[in-house]
Amino acid sequence: MLAQQIINGLSLGGVYALFALGFTLVFGVLNVINLAHGAIFMIGAYAALHAVLVFHVSLLPAIFVAALVTGGAGWILDKLIFAPLRASRAPHLAPMIATIGVSICVTSLIEGYFGSENLRFPLDTLPSSTLTLASVQVNWLDVKIIVLALLLMGGMLWVIRHSSTGRALRALAESPKAAALLGVNVGGLFLATSVIASILGGVSGVLIALYTNSVFPHMGQPMLHKGIAVVIIGGMGDVRGALIGGFFLGFAEVLTIAYIGSNMRDAVAFGLLFSVLLLRPAGLFGQAPQRRA
Amino acid sequence: MRCRALLFILVFGVLPNTAAAQIKIGIAEALTGNASQYGVAIRKGFELAAGEIASSGGINGQKLELVIEDEQGKKEEAINVFKKLIFQDKVLLLFGPTLSNSAQAADPVAQAAKVVVFGTSNTADGITSIGNYVFRNSVTEADILPATLKVAAQKTGLSKVAVLYGNDDIFTRSSYDNFKKALQDLKIGVTTTETFAKGDVDFKPQLTKIKGTNPDAIVLSALVAEGAPIMVQARQLGITLPFVGGNGMNSPRVFELARDHSDNLWVGSPWSVESSAPENKRFVAAYQKAHGALPDQFAAQAYDAMYIAAQAMRKLKFAANLDADRRALRDALPAVQWSGATGPFKFRQATGRDGKPAGYDAVQTAIVMVTKRNQYVIQK
Amino acid sequence: MEWLDSFWSTYSTLVLSTGTNVLLALSIYVTLACGLLSLANAGFMAIGAYSAVLLTLHTVTPLPLALIVGAIAAAMIALLIAVPTLRLSGVYLAMATLAFGEVVRILILNAEDVTGGALGLNGIPQLVGLFEVISSVTVALYVFLRLAHSRIGRTIAAISQDEIATELMGLNVRAYKLVCFVIGAALAGLAGALNAHFTFFISPNEYGFERAVEILAMGVIGGVSSPWGAVLGGTLITALPELLRGMGRYRPLINGVILIMIMLYSPKGLWDGLQTLRRRIRP
Repeated sequence: MLAQQIINGLSLGGVYALFALGFTLVFGVLNVINLAHGAIFMIGAYAALHAVLVFHVSLLPAIFVAALVTGGAGWILDKLIFAPLRASRAPHLAPMIATIGVSICVTSLIEGYFGSENLRFPLDTLPSSTLTLASVQVNWLDVKIIVLALLLMGGMLWVIRHSSTGRALRALAESPKAAALLGVNVGGLFLATSVIASILGGVSGVLIALYTNSVFPHMGQPMLHKGIAVVIIGGMGDVRGALIGGFFLGFAEVLTIAYIGSNMRDAVAFGLLFSVLLLRPAGLFGQAPQRRA
Repeated sequence: MRCRALLFILVFGVLPNTAAAQIKIGIAEALTGNASQYGVAIRKGFELAAGEIASSGGINGQKLELVIEDEQGKKEEAINVFKKLIFQDKVLLLFGPTLSNSAQAADPVAQAAKVVVFGTSNTADGITSIGNYVFRNSVTEADILPATLKVAAQKTGLSKVAVLYGNDDIFTRSSYDNFKKALQDLKIGVTTTETFAKGDVDFKPQLTKIKGTNPDAIVLSALVAEGAPIMVQARQLGITLPFVGGNGMNSPRVFELARDHSDNLWVGSPWSVESSAPENKRFVAAYQKAHGALPDQFAAQAYDAMYIAAQAMRKLKFAANLDADRRALRDALPAVQWSGATGPFKFRQATGRDGKPAGYDAVQTAIVMVTKRNQYVIQK
Repeated sequence: MEWLDSFWSTYSTLVLSTGTNVLLALSIYVTLACGLLSLANAGFMAIGAYSAVLLTLHTVTPLPLALIVGAIAAAMIALLIAVPTLRLSGVYLAMATLAFGEVVRILILNAEDVTGGALGLNGIPQLVGLFEVISSVTVALYVFLRLAHSRIGRTIAAISQDEIATELMGLNVRAYKLVCFVIGAALAGLAGALNAHFTFFISPNEYGFERAVEILAMGVIGGVSSPWGAVLGGTLITALPELLRGMGRYRPLINGVILIMIMLYSPKGLWDGLQTLRRRIRP
């Protein structure tokens, strides 16, 4: 049974890590807690579902559609909300509250258009074959999710470390003013970050909707809670933090259920959270809070 | 000029009042928010029944006017909506609210104002004990689960089960309490008890643990939103055991959401979409025609509730005094017996917290079904 | 006066809710004014509510005593977690306090024998009326308004501007932050205790993430430049669903849009925005 639980931990961790990636990116670069990330995640799932149901495309084009739609949402988010608030030097809580408003609007629109019942992807969208290796059941979808999370993470890390855009992003995260003085296109990079983070959120929405076989308007909420936990544990703003934090939380939950008791699961998760915050507030990979110029 | 003004007043002031011999009925359900999938289904059931009643002559010639408000599944909102319907819209009686939580907060308001509140989806304890103006036709799990377990045990030969329930929702939690008691009474052993929370997406850790304890079946207290993924993931983990579900799993949506993995689910409920009672067949056909989908239990119970209330209303002689009418309705309702989509129905009085007789619960017999190839098959 | 009677029977709960929401907004105002981004108030509200209700349900405790116990219980727990938690700042403090709120909710959920768990506590005696709510709000508001113009108030404002400079001036910043945090907790606990006694029923799920976010929204929308901001924020958030009732299924949508609009056009809060407007009209 332990072997199966380890596999369960890996797949749950992958799910969490995928969601947290986009979330942590917005915080790290834009310095905003984007509480609309759950709604964007949900839009991605609905966009893909709609593409499959109405236009009868297969999975890959549907994911592409989801990326397009959520990228657009990220674009709108920055243009309409983050940028104006940056320009008016609003207190740093204002964007967060605005994203709450966005989340409410978006959820209500989707609920109005698609209805509030659970929907699912048609069966043939992704053949769910299960692999059995020595009494351990592994689902191909789980494997794909884990692999994708790792690939995306690796890709992003590479971009951040080794490309000029990545360097510009890191400069931006350190100090927007200095970066601007050095000729970095601050506005453009902020916009790009918002778009990329939203695409990540949207794609993870599609995958997780396939994994759980359900799409419903409020599906972003519980993920948002877990996402917050992941970025705290892993460290906010750091891509490695999202990965490690995600798998850490996934394993913590699975092992608690397996060996302590499933009703203690959330208690352990939040207890961990609290401990991390007390012992190492920046999380496993985060930067200690510094004064921003 | 004055003549015209007078005419205006006459036409728009007096005539509507004389033309409107309408009975106002308040409906407070969760039409937005987390509970809206149930609230919207309930609303559809009400509207279907009200429409049929209207086209067959109304209540002794009078028309029904439905005043529908959204209580958003929040308790403060339920209280506010109840007060508005009772004091501002001056309804004769009130249907709702959707969630048991909201009922526990808002029903006392109706009781204090001496207005009948008729719940169609509240199944938790502590609701009908609020007072004698509180009615419900949603059969509580305490009455259904023993029957479900007995039939399932008979047909599958199970002797020990694992239990999986949602521990943060009042509906699944009270369902679990009833399961626990029924299992004890039937002397069925429990190999392990696992929990999940609403909104969870992954149940494999709990299912893996359950598999390791080797039960004969899994008792599941969940709503379809979690229940369907649970069944799918169980099958993916190689668990072929039967599931025994509570009320929440009695929904045709389970076939859509769990597709190939929806077989072997045992459910007990007073209503089955497959029930061959003529009233049910009529209801299912009418619902499908109006909404293009099969109804679920929430819609069925709302549909019947409207008819049950109508039966009581037919016996009333409206006295043009709202308080007297409301009291008369409360007095006429307990005696109503009705055979609708959910089968033969009558009320049974419950006791209040102080030991005195209080509100009214539903008395109906359970139909036990098992799912097979995307259909509920009724077991005799 | 019949109009008043009719108004009261329909809207009494709304008015009382506005009062407790203003208290909650004040509870986060006092922490925000000190520069603390604390999202723990939903958790403190739960502590206050459950403490008070357990007393009034199972014993013959008079209401004022139950309310005080609720506020004190919340304050004591705040004191307990303050030392480790207040070392954090900014977003990290926000996340820690959010996590704390969740821990409270889960503990209440699991302590079934005492708290009823998910089934909640039902049949709470309806002891709270207009008097209790209005007097609580008035006292709190009065105290804060006086403080805002006193030396203590100026110190707190200084702390939220720049902690290090304030420390250098010889002021015990940690003590001030502690006091603000604990008072905020006590207020939230009081609000919870009051709210429980006019809504018949409480359950752990109403004190979770959504409530914490709602309290934050009230504080930010009203603005932290003055306690009146909290009054504005609390009143608006309570009244908005009612005012928008005619909008039917578009209600949440318009709610969200209004939230966004307020943040875009008056990011420092409505009170500040109104002051700016007033200055422009009457320079």
